[in-house]
Amino acid sequence: MSQETIAQETTSQTTASPESPSSNQGSGNQVSGKKEDVVARLSEFPPGTHRVVKAGRREIGVFNVDGNFYALPNLCTHQLGPLCKGKVSGTIVCSKETEWKLQWGFENEIVTCPWHGMEYHIPTGTCLAFPEIRLRSYEVWVENEEVKVRL
Amino acid sequence: MSVQEAPSQHRTRDTLENVLVVDTDVHINDTPQALMPYCDMPWQKSLEVLSNVPQRTLDIPAFSAGLGSLCAPFPGGPEGRRVHTPQQLREELSAISVDIAVLFPDQLLKIATLPQKDYAAALARAYNRWIVDQWCLKEKGLLGCIIAAPQDPEAAAREIEKYAKEPGIVGIYLPCAGVEPLWGHRVYNPIFEAAEAANLPVLLHSVTVIHPVFPWQTHQFDTELARHTLAHTFSMSANLVDMITTGVPVRYPNLRIAFTEAGLSWVPFIMNRLDKEYIERRREVPFLTERPSHYIKKFFFATQPIEEPEDPRDLVKIVELFDGENQVIFASDWPHHDFDHPLKLFQAPFSPEAKRKMLGENALRLFNIDRNGNRLNL
Repeated sequence: MSQETIAQETTSQTTASPESPSSNQGSGNQVSGKKEDVVARLSEFPPGTHRVVKAGRREIGVFNVDGNFYALPNLCTHQLGPLCKGKVSGTIVCSKETEWKLQWGFENEIVTCPWHGMEYHIPTGTCLAFPEIRLRSYEVWVENEEVKVRL
Repeated sequence: MSVQEAPSQHRTRDTLENVLVVDTDVHINDTPQALMPYCDMPWQKSLEVLSNVPQRTLDIPAFSAGLGSLCAPFPGGPEGRRVHTPQQLREELSAISVDIAVLFPDQLLKIATLPQKDYAAALARAYNRWIVDQWCLKEKGLLGCIIAAPQDPEAAAREIEKYAKEPGIVGIYLPCAGVEPLWGHRVYNPIFEAAEAANLPVLLHSVTVIHPVFPWQTHQFDTELARHTLAHTFSMSANLVDMITTGVPVRYPNLRIAFTEAGLSWVPFIMNRLDKEYIERRREVPFLTERPSHYIKKFFFATQPIEEPEDPRDLVKIVELFDGENQVIFASDWPHHDFDHPLKLFQAPFSPEAKRKMLGENALRLFNIDRNGNRLNL
């Protein structure tokens, strides 16, 4: 997947941020039959960090990428490794636009599975090696100084 | 593709005689004597020294006495067949139902092993002049590849530009025996740029050598059987892997690339190994936007020396493993010891359509020529 493709998809993705919480969120614990869980206090979840939380029977990776929160399943599509326990960083990009020079891009937006190194673009859930693979994402937002996720 | 031919009452059954056969690998006898008049000075004087070397000692490479084979001749073996004139070649190819043939050198198959950059570039220029003057289109259906000497990529690029509109030239031969660095290296960018601009395909071709660069340390094998099993396939594998992992098919998306004289069964093997490694190390090849097999399936692969499995259906399976029906091209390797008759492909249990494609039509696409061998991109 090219840098441009991912960038385009990122802008079209509705993301929650501390400044602009999603409008369709409810205050109760049960909305539309879906459960919501508090992940952490906002003050304990600074930009550049991520954590794996158990929500019901699922494990979800929650990421604070430069103030925007994203949540992905803690499950790599490759061999079911604990994806979201992996390292978050950028990655190497190279294309005609970079004049075929290797450059560092997507800083803080890439999570790498600790098992075999499969990379995913956190804001879109897109697998870099196989762009046709896209992880589902969970709704995540900030409310009353708490980071919440809906299953 | 179906495994068995569907019987048809309504259609004339294909025979080898009425199917177009394009032979993508034929070798002509490029002796020092023949090339001498076409060679620049001072290297013409080197060929003059070699001009009285008897044919029987003209093993590849005749062009450097110091690089001869270190191995015993095949005990009791015959001298190799050679093709000396276009007329001889036309008659011999017609006898095996070949309509169009693409010529490669014989002695200069090992040009990449020559250590002198200027000598190699001069030999390539001489060979290119010689085939255009003496061979290409001199008989019906005889077309040629010019040599791109890897020792001097800029000189090779100028040769490609020079012959870009030559009616008898349809491709660029990339020598692989002993080549260093491998063909994915950035030093060859001028060659790929020129080839893409000229709309001429590049064809990688190897030959068995013993040479100190990977993967040519074949002195460890005791037999030619062992060396020959691995030499071509290792060379094609190494160069294909190198070209994929340096992004040649991404950087030159319109460049048509063919791999010759290594058979077909290595293709699914190397494709699957690359796809596996890609999962873990994609970051090293960030220019790839698809898995390696995506690009490999767009390469062309010549059949010779074609696999002859005990169960002929295995050959069909091998081709299916890399979606090769549109990418496999027939090659005889005439007049070499291990040449293949087109019947070998024709009699394999492919569908009639797949046979027509692999025997001729895919090669028309590779070389951008019509069924009479006329270039379509002049």
